Amino acid sequence: MEHEELDEFERELKQALERRPAPPSLKLRVMERRAQRRHPQSMIWMRLAATLLIVALLGGGLRWGLQQREERRQGEEARQQVMTALRITGHALNRVSTRLAAHDRAGE
Amino acid sequence: MAFDWQPDFERLLDEHQSMVFSLALRMTGDRGLAEEIAQDVFLELDGHMGRIKSPEHARFWLRQVAMSRSTDALRRRKVRGMDLWVELEDGHAARAEERPSPVGTRLEHLLTTLPEAQRAALILRYQEDMLPEEIAAALDAPVATVKSQLQRGLKLLRAKATNHLREFTRGA
Repeated sequence: MEHEELDEFERELKQALERRPAPPSLKLRVMERRAQRRHPQSMIWMRLAATLLIVALLGGGLRWGLQQREERRQGEEARQQVMTALRITGHALNRVSTRLAAHDRAGE
Repeated sequence: MAFDWQPDFERLLDEHQSMVFSLALRMTGDRGLAEEIAQDVFLELDGHMGRIKSPEHARFWLRQVAMSRSTDALRRRKVRGMDLWVELEDGHAARAEERPSPVGTRLEHLLTTLPEAQRAALILRYQEDMLPEEIAAALDAPVATVKSQLQRGLKLLRAKATNHLREFTRGA
């Protein structure tokens, strides 16, 4: 008797606890919030990509600038060496010329 | 045999939104809070999609997390179920077609007056038709404890119902 009574009660309880339909707004809100959460993620990736691109461009520019400066420095160094060589040569030629002039004078 | 199942978030949402919402609603007694909990549970699922192995695993995971988040929400709010149900009946009630019979409504109401652990066990047993072993796994509790909660919860609910709903007692 008690068991039958309990069964009847349990059946009623089961019926009372049938699943309720979710509000129609639930799916919509979940999908919206999911999209909002994913959007910042894609933005982060885009920002990261843009930052990397800027860093790469700046790095490339800096390297190009340093290379240019080095080339200029080397060019200047080469020019200085040529000038020094020309000065030495000029000096040597002057000495030779002086000696030749002295020799000519002594021969006269 | 290899089981080549790929979880589809939207499909899981369609299939289980009623279950998750109902679990949260019965645990908290508050439609608004239940909807918030259900949203959070599905967003959490979105983050766990890679670890969901099968449809059964998805259902188990959703039940477990829905119960856990509902319990957390109740503890955060420290609101008694009865108060919330009064609010539910008076204010933002369910749509007319969703409303159960007056007896069913009363039973749901009485259910919210039970201790939290007993309520959780009864909801999983009678809403989700789960066995004590499955409930124990979902609530991370020993089977013996769950069986005891079911027994005591049912006894208490029946006693409350006997007082409130004479139609459940023979000869009353």
